[in-house]
Amino acid sequence: MSEPSDTLNDGPGDSRGDAIVEVDGLWKTFGAVSAVEDLSFAVRRGQVYGLLGPNGAGKTTTLRVLMGLERPTRGTTRLFGTRVTPGCRELVRVGAMVEQAAFVPHLSGLRNLRLWWEAGGKRMRDADLDGALAIAGLGNAIDRKVNTYSQGMKQRLGFARLLLGRPELLVLDEPTNGLDPGEIREIRELIARLSAQGATVLLSSHHLSEVEQVCSHALVMNHGRLVADGTVTELIGSTGSVYIEVDDRERARAVLQGLKIVERVQSQGDGLVVELRDGRRSEVAAALVGAGLQLETIMATQRLEDAFLELLAAGDGQPPARVAQAAS
Amino acid sequence: MISLVRTEFTKAARRTRTLVVGALLVGLPALIVFALHQRNNVRQANAGEGLFRLARQSGLLVPAAVLGATSGFLLVVIAATFAGDSVAGDSAWGNLRYLLMRPVPRGRLLVAKATVAGLLIWVSTFLVALAGLLAGIALFGAHPVNVVAIGLQISEKTLMLRVLLSTAYVAFGFTALLALGTFFSVLTDTAAGAIGATAGVYIVSEILDGITQLGRVRYLFPTHYLDSWQSMFTDNRYSHDMIAGVLVQVGYLVVFGTLAAVYFRRKDIRS
Repeated sequence: MSEPSDTLNDGPGDSRGDAIVEVDGLWKTFGAVSAVEDLSFAVRRGQVYGLLGPNGAGKTTTLRVLMGLERPTRGTTRLFGTRVTPGCRELVRVGAMVEQAAFVPHLSGLRNLRLWWEAGGKRMRDADLDGALAIAGLGNAIDRKVNTYSQGMKQRLGFARLLLGRPELLVLDEPTNGLDPGEIREIRELIARLSAQGATVLLSSHHLSEVEQVCSHALVMNHGRLVADGTVTELIGSTGSVYIEVDDRERARAVLQGLKIVERVQSQGDGLVVELRDGRRSEVAAALVGAGLQLETIMATQRLEDAFLELLAAGDGQPPARVAQAAS
Repeated sequence: MISLVRTEFTKAARRTRTLVVGALLVGLPALIVFALHQRNNVRQANAGEGLFRLARQSGLLVPAAVLGATSGFLLVVIAATFAGDSVAGDSAWGNLRYLLMRPVPRGRLLVAKATVAGLLIWVSTFLVALAGLLAGIALFGAHPVNVVAIGLQISEKTLMLRVLLSTAYVAFGFTALLALGTFFSVLTDTAAGAIGATAGVYIVSEILDGITQLGRVRYLFPTHYLDSWQSMFTDNRYSHDMIAGVLVQVGYLVVFGTLAAVYFRRKDIRS
């Protein structure tokens, strides 16, 4: 069984005590079908953590188990150090949107917010209603019945609902599904703003650009299994190639060709494209600097999308790539 | 718990369907009483027996007649709707998962939903009786009733008391249906399926109850004692069957209420 605390690296909070989401050896099966297999990871305070995977990878099932909606077949999930059970107390510290935002259709947006909040035994004056309404940005439509809302309006109302309790942790499942480009940008900016204000975010998505733009860390899943995890930068850099510019290109080529992690070195413009077998950009940078070269530029030549597809292709039948661990 | 019941009640009460049901439960008794009054005016010979025949003597007995007419099907369908929709309705909207992602114990939510469904069933039953009473007094006046078959007269005060008791008995008679409906409602995410299954069980129960060859097994059917209250008016006596009816209803509540709670606590919420 893997130890998440040993595999995740930099970013806010490095000790296991900072982990506010812990998934340990999680299995979830439906009859003969395994939706999640031996999944372990941890999300630490302040991180924006992406669950990345194709449709059917097990992302939503993982979030459902985490929120107490489904029982794990095996393994445990913890929120703020407390084992998750249906309706457990720690859920009050979480704002969640699992799948699409859903409401009581014959009630207004405002009444939906009130009833949902009060159903938890809370008084309305304890909720951040003004803040939530400002985020929803629905104007007078907040008094209209929800069954007259567009998908985007429902999604924004969903964000307002999950923010009513000023949650420490946001759990978002495909939060931009069904939205138009303008609304997607708004939601991404909102997530970034909330993260900047100190909220921890666990976000599942199959939109790679979304994870790349929004998340500090990511976990790649496929067929219910963990394929790789680490920082987004590391995931991008863990496979494929990097582009470098140095003061002495030929000496750099010689240095790089001596590294085990380097597959091939090619010239491109003023720099070199280095194809990696494994490892991360920091090792390339360390080797060049260690050889006394002046490193002017180093950047991944691929996007998360490339890394994701390579990880999925390499991940079938392989043990998960612990990016941070492999690189450290 | 009170806040949960209040929020669930608000959700149910503000549905158009609930308002339509309310209007139906007020309008239908008024229509029945009006028809009864018209038939009384033309003085048809042998025009009906039992409660309806007696009800023409006094408006105070009209609620009993109307309850007798509606408790066999209309109120069954309405009660099945409230009970079957209690959990499955939220599931169908996708809203159930949002209720359960809060620190709300599932058992408490289920009790709140069943309480609201039960409350609406009681309100529906009393609404029928009240509408019948007001329409009955308006058209027939408030008089004692002579039960010719047994040669006794039932006073206004006794009539009122028995109308109240019979209404409560009819409402309580839907307890088994409430428990069954709640059970079906946690089994499925389709409200129509839960409502149909609940009403279906009652219809099958009524059909089987009519087959006397089944013997004592019929005594356990949820519909077997539903009409026992009518003896208060037609025979001027409190039947022991009413006590048996209460016990059968409690039995269904315990068995299917427990099954619903156990299943709901363990259920994977996927809608």
